Amino acid sequence: MAKPTGNPINDELLKIAAQNNISTVWDRFMEQEPHCGFGTLGACCKICNLGPCRIDPFGEGAQKGACGADSDTISSRNLTRNTAAGVACHSDHGRTLAKTLLELGRGIAKDYSIKDPAKLKRLAVEFSIKIEGKSDLKIAEELGEAILKEYGQQEGELTLTKRAPKKQQENWKKTNVSPRGIDIEVVQAFSRTHIGCDNEYKHVLEAAIRASLVDGWGGSMIATELSDILFGSPEPIRAEMNLGVLKEDEVNILLHGHEPILSDIIVTASQDKELVELAKKYGAKGINLSGICCTAAEVLMRHGVPMAGNFLQQELAIITGAVEAMIVDVQCIMPSLPEVAKSFHTKLISTSPKAKFVGMEHIEFHEKDALATAKKILRIAIENYKNRNHSKVSIPKEKMTLVAGFTMENIFYNLGGSFRPSYRPLNDAIISGRIRGVAGVVGCDNPKNESGMCHVDMVKELIKNDILVVQTGCSGGACAKAGLLTPEAAFKFAGDGLKEICETVGIPPVLHTGSCVDNTRILTACCEMVKEGGIGNSIDELPVAGAAPEWMSEKAIAIGWYFVASGIFVVLGTPLRVLGSKNVTNYICNEIEPLYGGKWAFEGDPIKAAHLMIGHIDKKREALKLKPVMYATA
Amino acid sequence: MKKIYCNIKKCLGCGSCEIACAVEHSKSKELNKSIAESPLPVKRRKAKFIEEGVSISTGCHHCENAACVTACMSGAMHKDKKTLLTQHDKDKCVGCWMCIMSCPFGALTRLKEEKIVLKCDLCPDREIPACVEACPTKALVLGTLKEFESKAVNILRASP
Amino acid sequence: MQYVIIGSSAAGISAIEAIRTKDKVSKIIVISDEKNPLYSRCLISYLLAGTIDEKKIWYKPGSFFKDNKVEALLGIKADKINIKKKEITLDNKEKIKFDRLLIATGASPKLENIPGIDKKGVFPLRTIEHAIEIQSMLDKVKSVAILGGGLIGLRAAYALKNRGKDVSVFVKSGSILSQIIDKDAAGLMQKRIEEKGIKIFTGVAAKEIQGDKSANRIIFDNGSEIVGNGRDRSLLVIIGKGVSPNIEIAKDAGIKTNRGILANEHLETNVESIFTAGDVSETNDIALEESSMNAIWPAACEQGRIAGLNMAGENELYEGSLAMNSIEFFGLPVISVGITRPKSDKYKEIVKKDPSKNIYKKIVLKNGIIKGVIFVNSIENIGVIGSLIKNKVDVSGVKDIILEDYFDYGKIATLVKKSKKGFREPEFKETIMTL
Repeated sequence: MAKPTGNPINDELLKIAAQNNISTVWDRFMEQEPHCGFGTLGACCKICNLGPCRIDPFGEGAQKGACGADSDTISSRNLTRNTAAGVACHSDHGRTLAKTLLELGRGIAKDYSIKDPAKLKRLAVEFSIKIEGKSDLKIAEELGEAILKEYGQQEGELTLTKRAPKKQQENWKKTNVSPRGIDIEVVQAFSRTHIGCDNEYKHVLEAAIRASLVDGWGGSMIATELSDILFGSPEPIRAEMNLGVLKEDEVNILLHGHEPILSDIIVTASQDKELVELAKKYGAKGINLSGICCTAAEVLMRHGVPMAGNFLQQELAIITGAVEAMIVDVQCIMPSLPEVAKSFHTKLISTSPKAKFVGMEHIEFHEKDALATAKKILRIAIENYKNRNHSKVSIPKEKMTLVAGFTMENIFYNLGGSFRPSYRPLNDAIISGRIRGVAGVVGCDNPKNESGMCHVDMVKELIKNDILVVQTGCSGGACAKAGLLTPEAAFKFAGDGLKEICETVGIPPVLHTGSCVDNTRILTACCEMVKEGGIGNSIDELPVAGAAPEWMSEKAIAIGWYFVASGIFVVLGTPLRVLGSKNVTNYICNEIEPLYGGKWAFEGDPIKAAHLMIGHIDKKREALKLKPVMYATA
Repeated sequence: MKKIYCNIKKCLGCGSCEIACAVEHSKSKELNKSIAESPLPVKRRKAKFIEEGVSISTGCHHCENAACVTACMSGAMHKDKKTLLTQHDKDKCVGCWMCIMSCPFGALTRLKEEKIVLKCDLCPDREIPACVEACPTKALVLGTLKEFESKAVNILRASP
Repeated sequence: MQYVIIGSSAAGISAIEAIRTKDKVSKIIVISDEKNPLYSRCLISYLLAGTIDEKKIWYKPGSFFKDNKVEALLGIKADKINIKKKEITLDNKEKIKFDRLLIATGASPKLENIPGIDKKGVFPLRTIEHAIEIQSMLDKVKSVAILGGGLIGLRAAYALKNRGKDVSVFVKSGSILSQIIDKDAAGLMQKRIEEKGIKIFTGVAAKEIQGDKSANRIIFDNGSEIVGNGRDRSLLVIIGKGVSPNIEIAKDAGIKTNRGILANEHLETNVESIFTAGDVSETNDIALEESSMNAIWPAACEQGRIAGLNMAGENELYEGSLAMNSIEFFGLPVISVGITRPKSDKYKEIVKKDPSKNIYKKIVLKNGIIKGVIFVNSIENIGVIGSLIKNKVDVSGVKDIILEDYFDYGKIATLVKKSKKGFREPEFKETIMTL
């Protein structure tokens, strides 16, 4: 049995898993220990068939691969490919939304609609589309076309990179990383890292950085904007988080994966009167939707759909025995789920043409008949309620309230109070020293760290030191479970300065801003803070820092890179797999700071990592000649 | 006595045993920190290539009639009276390299600067030696020769 | 059962330990002409060099005899053996009976008939006493002359250079270490030694040692000479001309001897119940495939062990010894095993060298079997080759890679498995079973 995670809910369910001989991610993780040292250090290259090659990190064995590549080349190529893979995920996510927007505009994807027409128009203008006299659908079609064009673009620039402060754009031009188009940078990240191609490590990493910008100021940012347009711009909303949101007397349906074109439609479909009646026919009081991972965040912040768990908890959700169906699309879905579900009645349904799982029923989902497919899937789930073995149900009691749905636009209103929409109050709070700075704590949860607790420890330390924290994805989920995403948390955990601000404005000290693509909301917020003035003329001058204390996915690497390249200091809880090369490590942790204003750091202890961020933020404050922090605690 | 044996049929020559050995004998005992130590930790086990697709991981075999103990002129190499394992006393070692001259497995590592040798010590601080734990195919086992032989026979029977 | 062992160095000590594994009860008496014999003879030069302190020289703890219930007669010489009566007479006229006897009397340094060899300041280097005596001269003497370019001579030279003396080595033959390595390997070592300030003169033999009471000049057969240049002009002279086995006691008793005391494959002499081991014994040489003498520590230990076991009633076979030497001077190691300077054209040699890195590797083959090997500087894995020599393996399939840097046990694993007669030790079962 896996050793206890320290999280009582998880540990209770792990006991049940052990009793039923179900292996979970924690068991399998332990079986993998110790992980391969060569892989961990980035000293393994599998790119060509002269290999796979290993570089001996202890200096005795081979120091070069068969082709002559040393650890600098090998680590930088591996890191670039990992980055590109993460970028590809977000590019596709944006692409799907752009296609949906286009098809909506053309009258094909009839089940979708424009929920935020004002934003549609603003974005269209950014893409140089004339909006006078055009219907929303027409604008949607043209905007969809314009965005998809940038996917296939070979020369030029990406529209949204122009949102970045001048200095950032200049940095990118100077270092030859300004992206030319979306897909081309991902393709070339791979073609350049083929055997015998790009070998000089700094040059190789240029491809990684350029690809990451395509994510942050391309695919992800497009995804965020289009999701708001198609599904509604979020407003602060109270919701619930943790496995306790599952209901004993309702049909529990879990949404898992990433794309809101599926999850949002399912929310709509679940309100269908016929389906609710069907549920009641089987003895359930109703339909209880909840989510896992990023798609959960999407419907959480727009519809208040509760979040059942984050990445590591996906198997535990099934082990409660209370889930009729888990509907999945792409990314972060464990292939172990069907094996886990065998012991229960839970049906697993995959929906994406890009993602099939052994043991899952595949009902492919397409935009053109979205609502019909959604209803079909829900019907299967509801009919499964009669198969629930109520004696095997073990829903934990714990669930926590959180306030989610903070975005770049609505923060205006919240920070300024209803009558003064602007970033001024935030900037003033930073200038006055009530708020030391802003930190983005994001990313996955990982048994390598503390299965989520690192986020909590880090965030508590940050807000104790008057740092306003913004969160996305599973990190937000982890802190929500600890009750940090409520205004009440400010009284319990925040330092005096932050407490004041939270009290005045009525916000939590930790702001949930969405799913992982919504990390771009943080980028946009930084741009606004710069525009508002007084705390730096470019993103790298802002008193901000970022962290992914338990990162797991390649997407996390891509996100980290685009923050670093945009001027932000990012701390990871486990190192990127480059330590086998002293040069590459030194380059990404030190030498790139003067080039971009941002850099990486690796620190496993969340408190120490928090203090790296605090120290960094203090340095920025000093450089800006701001007053000292009002209520010094660090 | 329990020793470390390698089932060649399962050895991939991946080198995980080497890394685990070095990390276990480092100051920090952590992979990421050990590669930055000075001096670097020294591994006492090596994955050795036999032919395409065939490798063996070897270290000190703690031979019954240990040639190194016979050859050692300072008494540094000796048999532990209780465990009968071959032990090396660093304080007595004068770096004469007679053990390197005698070992049929090449299991000794020369430390040129300090003028002593190093060899597998069966990880006295651990219940299960680091290499055995790290082996991803469980080719390395800790056991008596009889235990290894019976395990190996079963695998030989099962393999095509 | 009463066991008597003459000699308490490597062979004698190993025999004692071996007997006690089988017979914990019977009496063992050991006779040694040294008062404190439990030191490692090989470490004498290290002691002289000052690179180890006296503590390290003790091979066994002082309680060794007590721990093994051995009656030790130390500082006493055995004079006669009466084979019929199975009785030993000591130099103090005492008589001791034996049921089993081991003659492990070792060898003594050869002191040639050079006039003046008995002057003060002239020493061999074999015992701890020699080392102590030489030590006592070191604050008075500056110049050292080493007569002999073999192992003892060079070890003494290195030791005394380390103590800050001016050292000159005089070698009769054309190269140093001519008994154990070939000219090329010797050349690399000579270069290193000379770089570090030891002078080497080859092709010269000492004719006369001159001086009042103490030696202060040596005259050589080519007319050259060396004088002391210390305060009192005295010269420290070390004789390193090899050793001759102490066979007199056996010869006198009628036990068969040749160069050494002849031993069969049980290490028994031609007289039942009388065994022999160590530097005094003559046994089968595995490489030469004839009887020979290999007066080295590992052979003495192995012979003592097997002789001891057989004395205690076991039936162990001794395969034979191999010439084996490992030395390192000034950071340059040289290891040689077996036949390194073959004298007939029946032998083939394969050489790999990199003079810029001081690397020299050579194997000597006969009919596809390795008979000898020399490694200079890059000594890793030479033991694997030693094992091929011992097991008489046909290496025709791998001879091209034996001298490569990547050669290791893995490269002979297949040979181990295929071997019909060799590799019988339990440690090879792992390979034979699973390969």
